[in-house]
Amino acid sequence: MNAVHLRVVAGDEHYALPVSNVLGISAIGEVTPVPGAPQHVIGVRNLRGRVIPLIDLAALLGLGDGSTLTWIVVGESRGRRCGFAVSRTLDVSELGETDDDIESPYLTGAELIDGAMVGVVDVEAIFDALTPAVAA
Amino acid sequence: MSEVIDPEILLLAREEAEERVENIEKNLLAVESGSNDPEMINELFRDAHSIDSAGAMLGWDAVASIAHSMEDRFNRCRDGEEKLMDAVPEMLISLDEMKGAVSAEVVEAAAEPRTPPTPVPPPPENGRTVAATSNGAPRPRPAQIGSVSAKPIRVSPSKVDRVLDAVGETAVNHHRLAHVLRERLSPEDSAESELELEMGNRMLSELHDSVIGMRTLPLSSITAAFPRAVRDMAVATDKEVELRMVGTDTQLDRSVLEGLPEEIHHVLRNAVAHGIESPAQREAAGKHRRGVITLRAEPRGGLIAIEIEDDGGGVPAKVLAQAEGSASLTELLCAPGFSTAGDVSNLAGRGVGLDAVKKHVDGLGGSIEVQSGPENGTKVILLLPLTLAVLRVLLCERAGQAYGVPLTSVREVVIATDTVSLGGRRALDLNGDPVDFEDLAEELGAPAPELPVGGPALIVDTADRTTALACDTVLGDEEVVLKSLGPLLSSATAYLGAAILGDGRVALILDPNQLVRGPHTPNHTNGHGATALTPIEAGPEASPPASSGEPKVLLVDDQKSVREFQGGILEDAGYSVQLACDGREALERMEESEFDIVLTDIEMPVMDGFELLGAIRGGSAPASIPVVMVTGLGTDEQKQRGAEAGADAYLVKREFDQHALLDVVSALVGA
Repeated sequence: MNAVHLRVVAGDEHYALPVSNVLGISAIGEVTPVPGAPQHVIGVRNLRGRVIPLIDLAALLGLGDGSTLTWIVVGESRGRRCGFAVSRTLDVSELGETDDDIESPYLTGAELIDGAMVGVVDVEAIFDALTPAVAA
Repeated sequence: MSEVIDPEILLLAREEAEERVENIEKNLLAVESGSNDPEMINELFRDAHSIDSAGAMLGWDAVASIAHSMEDRFNRCRDGEEKLMDAVPEMLISLDEMKGAVSAEVVEAAAEPRTPPTPVPPPPENGRTVAATSNGAPRPRPAQIGSVSAKPIRVSPSKVDRVLDAVGETAVNHHRLAHVLRERLSPEDSAESELELEMGNRMLSELHDSVIGMRTLPLSSITAAFPRAVRDMAVATDKEVELRMVGTDTQLDRSVLEGLPEEIHHVLRNAVAHGIESPAQREAAGKHRRGVITLRAEPRGGLIAIEIEDDGGGVPAKVLAQAEGSASLTELLCAPGFSTAGDVSNLAGRGVGLDAVKKHVDGLGGSIEVQSGPENGTKVILLLPLTLAVLRVLLCERAGQAYGVPLTSVREVVIATDTVSLGGRRALDLNGDPVDFEDLAEELGAPAPELPVGGPALIVDTADRTTALACDTVLGDEEVVLKSLGPLLSSATAYLGAAILGDGRVALILDPNQLVRGPHTPNHTNGHGATALTPIEAGPEASPPASSGEPKVLLVDDQKSVREFQGGILEDAGYSVQLACDGREALERMEESEFDIVLTDIEMPVMDGFELLGAIRGGSAPASIPVVMVTGLGTDEQKQRGAEAGADAYLVKREFDQHALLDVVSALVGA
């Protein structure tokens, strides 16, 4: 896939999110914890008048919850929004050849870029997994 | 010809035409319902005439021609050549044609509406100049004479949202600025800046409130088509039905209004098809031939209630009977595919259709309820969500986090000084009544330091219990726009949502019904559409826990009457009771057999209650057995002493209540 992606660093690992799923980037700002929230949802934030949930991307991807969270990548899929909290944002670029043989439910592939393995994030899958089934 | 006319003027002309059309329709329906107002025919004529002249002027030939024929007809009615009542059905059909013609005229000219047309006074009788130059010279606008009319201006919703967002960001920026200043300035310098910051805060709050006010629209913005729809449906089913509307000026956030018209239409359809009987049936039942459906809207607590009530025959008796047995009437009628109609009429389709309405309303976070009876007709109540509407909340802080509780659930705010331990739970003395005392942070599972001594507590009333919710500080009440936390946080049921405060902070808005633990009355619909909680046994009739055999109570008191009295209560409730008349005898009993709980008086000869307690805690097996001190005096020192000595609970005979006793025992034995 040659689509344009945003590269970030989360929990010391590199990831790429398709810009078609990214609405923007913001500094982490003031996080309001929500007691009783499901795992990985570290809280909510006021983003230009909207209240969006924040997810620790590194924790979600199994890297533990000790990473420094400096930025949020506002992700969107079919009307659902959230902020993925990451340590660093790198750049926006086209990906080259990706290896799509990857086991994680949240990644669609991986590519070696500048010596680092970059996991390609499946934003839609993450939203699907985190959104509880709507009661009929 | 339309191409040379200023698109803004065209749009304005269309709006005016549409308003006149609406007015004609309203009057025609009124006439059909039997209104005798003599002025009406004049108004009808005038409106038709105005549309005719405007249409002719703008070159809207189709529109003008229809309007002209209507005008002629109204004129004949006015002259007595024809009865207006008889002309109504055909006039309504002509009106529909005219609506179509008006829309068609403006479709090409208007791409995206530009800046909203500025309010202009209605055109004088002899028409006005149409600005039609196409050479780019400044065009003369219709003269604005006199004062600005009160006519509202139309602004696209996205513009209002942009302003709201900008206000929000400004507030956040202000908050950060304040923070930076406070860090950098010395106390002497900060006084002046504090003043300015405070002012800024206030102004931003006001600005915020004003913009929020702009987002709401009256219900009337979607109800205009209903009376006509009801009338048409009635005609199609050979019935006579009138729709009355009350409270349509009730304001709702426009996001709630979206999608509502269809739901209300659904309910109206049911009311006409299934609710209202045929004129013959009604007369036979002693009612007026014409049925009435009333649509009533009003704010109710923090919600908006929209009621649609018909004066028909109500839901059939056998359905009511079914409802009593199993689910509630509401659940029954809202089940998919349910129908009370014997035949499937084209009008109402297969089922009663309420399941779709319920889904929509539930999805918004609201609720639906149906009340019906053979004598009273049927009433459908839609309680519309707080999610998108404006809500008054009481704001408080706990552990640095702001929370809001809907004001309608808050009875009062008190300073929590008098709390006692009762059955393992803390209680607050509220004018003599014990009220459950809960730390807000604990209820939510949020990490927090100890509550401040003498801090505030919100007395929160829910459907079935009252709780004192303790926090660090109370910030005051405020009107907020409730924002949904979104699907990712839908499992966090303690919250209705979140709100963005004037200073940009996010406050979590609590759902009192979900927040406070405790028994819920079964069959009580939760007002927010959440899945019903499994009913826990209500307190007062608590029976002993189903452990092996009956739990054994050791009752210690030196007065026989008391032993008999309390013993009787406990035995009736299913406990096995043994008696002792003082502490020493109690210890002897405990050597002989095992007990689940000890209830002891304090003032007793030989060995009093405290000594007994000490002995139990000091070593007699089992040291951890629950011990309840029951006494004739309720002084604080005694309570304190009891608590320190390790009593689990404290009951005062003077306030003695059979239920309290059983509650306490049940709670401690079950633990």
